This record gives sequence, C-alpha cells and structure tokens, in this order.
Amino acid sequence: MGLVSWLIAVPFLTMLVVVFIPERQWKLIRWVSATGTSIHLVLTGKLVVNYWQAAMPEAESMKHALFTKLYFVERVPWFESLGIQYYVGVDGISVAMVILTSIIIFTGVLASWYVEIRVKEFFALLLLLVTGVFGVFLSFDLFLFFMFYELAVLPMYLLIGIWGTGPKEYSAMKLTLMLLVGSAFVLVGFLALYHASGMHTFDLIRLSEAKYSHEFQRWVFPMVFVGFGVIGALYPLHTWSPDGHSSAPTAVSMLHAGVLMKLGGYGALRIAVYLLPEGAKMWGVVFMCLTTVNILYGSFGAVMQKDLKYFTAYSSVSHCGFVLFGVATLNLIGFKGAVIQMFSHGIMTGLFFGLIGMVYGRSHTRIIPEMGGLGKVMPWLATCFYIGGLASLGLPGLSGFVAETHVFLGGFFGNPWTSSVLTKVLTIIATMSIVVTAVYVLRGLALVFQGPITNPHYEELTDATLPEKISTGVLVATLIVVGLLPFFFIDLIESSVMPIFNRLNM
Amino acid sequence: MLMMPEIIVILTAFGVLVLDLFLTERSRWILAPLALIGLAGAFAALYMTPLHEQMLGGRFVMDPVAWWFKVVFLLSGAITILISMDLLNGKTGVRIRGIGFRGEYFTVLLFTITGMMYLISARDLITLYVSLELATIPLFVLTAWRRDDARSGEAGLKYVILGALASAFILYGMGLIYGLTGSLNLDTIGHALTPGRNAVFWLAIAALFAGVGFKLTIVPFHLWAADVYQGAPTPVTAYLSVASKGAGLAFMFQIFFRMLGPWIPDGALLIALFAASTMTLGNTVAIVQHNIKRFMAFSAISQAGYFLMGFLGPSSAGVPAMLFYMLVYVVSNMGVFTAIVWFANETGREQIEDYRGLCRTNPLMALAMMVALFSLAGIPPLSGFVGKFFLFSIASQAGFHWLVAVAAVNSTISLYYYLRVVRQMYIEPGGEDARALPVSRKLALTQAVLLLGVVFLGLVPGIYESIHADTASWLAALIR
Repeated sequence: MGLVSWLIAVPFLTMLVVVFIPERQWKLIRWVSATGTSIHLVLTGKLVVNYWQAAMPEAESMKHALFTKLYFVERVPWFESLGIQYYVGVDGISVAMVILTSIIIFTGVLASWYVEIRVKEFFALLLLLVTGVFGVFLSFDLFLFFMFYELAVLPMYLLIGIWGTGPKEYSAMKLTLMLLVGSAFVLVGFLALYHASGMHTFDLIRLSEAKYSHEFQRWVFPMVFVGFGVIGALYPLHTWSPDGHSSAPTAVSMLHAGVLMKLGGYGALRIAVYLLPEGAKMWGVVFMCLTTVNILYGSFGAVMQKDLKYFTAYSSVSHCGFVLFGVATLNLIGFKGAVIQMFSHGIMTGLFFGLIGMVYGRSHTRIIPEMGGLGKVMPWLATCFYIGGLASLGLPGLSGFVAETHVFLGGFFGNPWTSSVLTKVLTIIATMSIVVTAVYVLRGLALVFQGPITNPHYEELTDATLPEKISTGVLVATLIVVGLLPFFFIDLIESSVMPIFNRLNM
Repeated sequence: MLMMPEIIVILTAFGVLVLDLFLTERSRWILAPLALIGLAGAFAALYMTPLHEQMLGGRFVMDPVAWWFKVVFLLSGAITILISMDLLNGKTGVRIRGIGFRGEYFTVLLFTITGMMYLISARDLITLYVSLELATIPLFVLTAWRRDDARSGEAGLKYVILGALASAFILYGMGLIYGLTGSLNLDTIGHALTPGRNAVFWLAIAALFAGVGFKLTIVPFHLWAADVYQGAPTPVTAYLSVASKGAGLAFMFQIFFRMLGPWIPDGALLIALFAASTMTLGNTVAIVQHNIKRFMAFSAISQAGYFLMGFLGPSSAGVPAMLFYMLVYVVSNMGVFTAIVWFANETGREQIEDYRGLCRTNPLMALAMMVALFSLAGIPPLSGFVGKFFLFSIASQAGFHWLVAVAAVNSTISLYYYLRVVRQMYIEPGGEDARALPVSRKLALTQAVLLLGVVFLGLVPGIYESIHADTASWLAALIR
C-alpha cells in the first residue's frame, strides 16, 4: 500500500478504532481522533515533499501537455468485466486539495473538542465523511470517484440531523436530497462518457483520449457541470447551503463549507472541463453569467443576515461563486485562480465557522445585534475573526487577495470563444462584490466585537482554550503563509492546470 | 442427478409434514432446523450438479442462469425460515396469536421454493406453467396464515383472486403462442416466432407481460402488493418481497430471452416506459406510508422498475447485472425485514413512528436496518449501489439516458423515505419508558450474516465476476 492509499485509509482506520471504543471512554475517543488526524497531517506533509521532488523537475515539460500526469499511481483491477479499477494518484490540484482537507479535519476535530452528546457516533461519522472526501480528491477512476463522492455526502445527514441546531431536520434533508439529485446528473454523465468512449474503461486519463462528438459534448457538459455545480453552490441551486451550514454543528460546517463545496469546483474543472473541452467552450459563457449572479447574490444576501452562521453561509455562496467563475472563464489564470480560491476559501471559511462555533459556545447566541464588545473578553477569537474577515474581503498579504486577483484577471482577459466585451463586463460586475464584501465583513465584525459590552453576562466569558487556540492558529497561519508566499502554491498547481487548459486549444 | 436439489427439497417438505404428526407441541421446534438442513442439503446437491445438461427430453435443463436463480431461491427460503422461527415457536416479546401449525407452515414454504426452482429450469410451456402455479398457490396459503386476523384473510383472498386472474392471462398467452407456433418447447418457439404485423402475436405477448407484471409488481399490475404485504405474517411478507419477485424475474427471463430473444430491442422503449413508471410510482407512493410493511411494499415495487432496466441492453451485460442485483436485493431487503420481524416480535408494532429511538433501545439492530436501507437506496459503498450502477450502465449503453436520469433521481426520492425511518431511529428521541429490546441469538446471527453480505457483495468483486463469467455468454446461441 503506497502513500496515496494510506491517505485514504488513515481516516477510515481511525474511524474503525473509534467505533470499537466504548461510549463511556469519550475522552479517549477524541484523543484517538486527534491522533489520527495528526498522523494524516504528517503524511500530507510527506506527500507534499515527495510531490515537489518528483514533479518540479518535470514542470517545464508540462507546458504543452494535453494529458494530466499523475504521480504515485496505484491501480488494482476491481470489476474487470466492466473496466472498473481502484486507481489512485495525485497531481498538483489533488495535492492542494489534500493539504486543505487535512488541515480542516485536524482543526475540525480540535474545534469539536467539547461535543458532549453521542461523542462516538459524532467522530465516527466525521471521519467517515472525510474518508470520502480524500477518496474523491485522490481517485482517478470515475466509478471510484463517484463512490467516494456519495460517501462524502451521506454522513452529513446524520451529522446535521443529530447534532445540529435550529430547524436541523429540515436542513439536513434539504441538503442531502439536493446534493444527491446533483450527483444523479453526474452519474448520468459518467455513464454516458463511459459508453460513448467505447474504450470500456472508467479511467479518467484514458477517457481523455476519447473523441467525443460535438453533439455529445453539448448535452453532457451541462449535465456534469450542473451536477457538480449543486455542491459548488451554483446559482440557483445553492439554496441548501445557507440552511445546511447554519444548522450544522461547528466541525461539520467547517468541513462542509471548507471542503465539500470544493468537490463541486474540483469535479467541474477536473472532469467536466477536462473531458469535454468543446462543451466547455459552448457553455462557458452561460455559466459565467450564472456565477456572476452567484457572487453578487451571495454578497448582498450576506449584508442582510442577522445570524452569524447565515452571514458566513451567504458569504460562502459568494466566494464559491468565484471558484466556478474561475472555471467558467476558460482561461489559464482563471483556472489557477479557481484552484487557489478553493484552497483559500476552504481555510477561510473553516476558520469562520470554527470561530462562530466557539463564540456561540460561550455567548449562546449567534444573532449579531445581540452581541457587542465581545473583543474585550475574547481577544484571541476576535483577532482571528478579523484576520479571516480581511482575507475574505481580499486584503493583500492574505490568501484571498491572491485568489481573487487571479480569478478577476482570468475573467478580464477572457477567452477566444466568448465576446471579450461580455467577459469584461461580467468581470467588472463581479468585482463590485468586493465592495459589498467589505461592507458586510467590517460592519458585522464591528457589531460583534467592538463597542461597549452590551450584555453584563458577557463580562464573565473566557477566551479560547488551548485546543481552540491550536485550531484557529493553524488556520490563520495558513492564510498568512499562502498570502505572503503565493508563488510556492502557484508552482504547485500550475503544471497540473496546464493540461486542462491546453485541451481547450487542441 | 440433475434434479437432485428439487427432490431433496420435496422430500424435506414431506418429511416435515409427516414428522409433525408424531411430535408433541413441545418438541415441534425441531421442524425448523430440519427444514434448514433440507435446504442446506439441496444447496450442496446444487453445488455438485453438472451444468449445461438436460433431462426428460430437454424439458428440464440446468444452465448457469438456472443455477444462480436456484441459489437465490434457496437463500431466500433459508432466511425466511430463520426469521420465522421465533414467531412460530412463540418466543416473542409480546403475545402474537393466531400463528402456529409449524409443520404445515414449513411444508408449504418448501413447496413454493420447489416451484420456483422448477420454474427456471423448465423448457416447455406446460412445465413452466405448472411450476409457476406450484410456486404461487402455496404463497396464497401462507399469506392467509393468521386465521383470526381479518386483515390476513383479506390479504389472502385478494391475492388469490388477482393471482388467479394473472395466471389466467398467462395461460391465455401461452395458448395463443402454442397456436402460433405449434410447439411447446421454448427454444423451438423462440426460433419460430416472428412478430410481423400479427395481432395475435402482440395479444399473446401482452397477456404474458400482464401476467408476469403481476408477479414482478410492475405498474400498472402492482395493485395487490400493498394490501397483501401488509396483511401477510411478517416473515411471509419478507419472503414475498424477495422470492416472489425472483420468481417473476425468472419467468420473465424464460419468456423474454428464450421466446423473444432477438425481438427485445424492438420493445425497448416500452420496457423503458414501464421501468420508469414503476419506479416513479413505487417511490412517490412510499413517501406517504405509515405502516412499515406497506412502505416496504412500495419500496419493492420501485425496485422492480430497476430490474426492468436490465432488459434494455444486450443479454451479455443484462443477465449478469440482473442476477447480481437480485442477489444484492435479497440480502438487503432481507436485512430490513429481519429487523422488522424482530421489532414486530418484540413490540407487536409496525408503524414507522414506533421505531423512534431504536438506536438507543437496540443499537446493533438499528445500525443493521440503516445499512440495509441505505443499500436499497443505492448508497455507496454498499452493494445496492454497485448493483444499481451496473443496471444503470445497461440503460445508458442502450442510449436511454433519460431513463438513467429518471432512475437516479428516483434513487434520491427513495433515499428521502428511507431516511424517514432512519430519522425515527436515530434523530427522534425515544419515549420515556424505552427499555432495551433483546434480540435472540439466531436473529442476531442472521442479521450479521446479511449485513456482511450487504457490505461485501459490492466491495469484493468475486461474486459479480463469477456471475458474469458464468452467464455472459448464456444466450449467445439463441441470438440470430
């Protein structure tokens, strides 16, 4: 078993260990979960080093490559009669996503340190979910990909339904059903891709050699793109996101907004655009329009919210719009921006939801007008919140700036298949959202943390504890590192984005 | 000998019946293990039976498809006996009256299994019809088993009347086919039959399809299912939901592949429409059910729609996929029913709302039921997902992309109502007086084995690959 398989197996094995610990040993359960995710973080570090050594010398040769080059590939035949195999490996995009997920699950476990009811089931489901997520990012067989994809969605139902707050059953059901309808369309697309290729394989890289007709791409591309778009919160299919995120418990919101929504952008780029470049050219402009609505709608929606979680959820809709916008620009810089935005937004929103959970755990309210002056009693949490907020509105020096600049430049330069006036106009409209973002972020934070303490009960609240400090500290550090040294990150993904882009110009 | 498995089952049936006369009520518990041993013996005999051979002048044939179907029938029979034992022996948490007569119960059950086993090996119309009746008539009896329960009697009566009507249709269709071709042998008919613009041909096919649609609960021939499922004793409902469906599928294999083999693609659109309406109706009506047995009836109807998708493609892909899904369906559905039977035994209740808080009162049964339900909904990595994926793949290959979309969306709908049960078990808090519900050792063991099947049939490729290797070339000889 190679490193890549271990990356999928570690959370799963941790889950198995958790399942066999009796419920009354709940302290042990969270320590085991924390250990498992720490081991995963170490393995991820090893993956980055190995990948860097293996891929960087070859980066130059990928400039004109048409096919994604995978590293550390492991394949085992599975259902041979249908050409299904266990096929995992990494390229730069996967590595970036694995880093993101590994950080989020590690901090997520720490942020769930004070979960008290049904501890065992909670951590088991959380680890099962994250197994699915790693599987999606690492598998390159469409069948395997789809299997992990649904595995990542389903535990969410129980996680929100049992440990959530507010109208949790409604939100859990809405989220699960909408995401699965999306995956139903993805499934139709996958099967069509498999049969139309005539190659009798689900191997993504081999399928990219198939010649799909224009007619075929015309209907399959939107099918797959919209299917992934549902989980990427594509307007108007984003409605599960605010409800789901606000009802979910802290760690689940972190994972869901931070990582699961990225599955959408990842699938759209990796599968829809990569396999169906002609379809992408036909439909790119449509999706560019839709995602522009996404960006604006999300940010205006956030302005109106009174609940901190709804506030962040709408801002996520807006920021995930950037990801799909970057994909829809069909431009190299745009693609890179989309990947960086996936990473940056993942960390940022993970930080937000983690902090909201911690503040809520203390003040027992998430309603913005009821809070005030909290910065005085919880300076650590307030500082982290500010850094996250500034990253969210795209302050230079933090990761958000790098991502958004790329996306907007990509949109502004446009592509040869769409009228350049249109893409420029759309980009300018989308850019306006930054102003709106600044309004809601600064206003929201000021209301919560600044000013006099409004409620005498808040005087007694405490600042972050050690697990919480580690959790938020790691996330803030990541935001700053990517913001200050973006070129490492760009180098990491550039050679892997190239083939996807080159195929458009074939 | 080729017919050994069937003969063993029949001998066991008579053995149980006769032995019953000499036993006292206290020692009648021995009958169930005896029936199980009989089935195990039949399975051993089946394992040693040579394939691709025939007897009785070609009227009885063993081929790989028949072999796998017999495995399915023996398996569902054995599981039914296992989950019936507590109920029939009176080892239940609450007193359930009106069920007894163990000797007769097992005898009748073994007879229907025999009928089904003959059904898939039959190669001429007469044998086919007789074995179909042998499989069906005992089911009527089993359905009405609870004498003093009016609902059980009503269910039995409905089943008899509608079942007889379906049999009449089948007989009528067979008569017309015989008139058209002058032969009783299925393969000869298959070679002689040409549709053309012959109204009689289409009438015959319609009559046969209506009859088989009744067995397989294809919309619009599904109307009996809900009442019969609800009224029958719960283990019998479990048996009906898998074995009766298996028999329906076997019968469909016989008429579709043997008699109409080359002409199936002409009717593909019709099959696709039946599949789509069956799964959609089953799934949407299941949403509003409150009784868990009615609920499972509509779930079973929708599953029949998925099975039909297998007829759309070439038999080399369709036959293995349908057989595999049949196996998966037996294991998953029986997993759910084991939990239902157990719950009804312990509490005497069968409303979905009664399951609230089950994850506290018996966590393992709740987990098993949830996993089995998820498998029915087609959630990876469980075997239900893999089975459905193969069936969807066939529809996609035949170009029915819209049907794949309908089916996939239907899976989501089905997840909605399966989640209703999961929600009762896991999310709703249990009542104040909730006490731990015990589970007997044999039910726990049955459930554990089924659960392993649900999980590993899809993960370990061995079973599917061997079904594929056995049956992919099954019909090659027939396709002209």
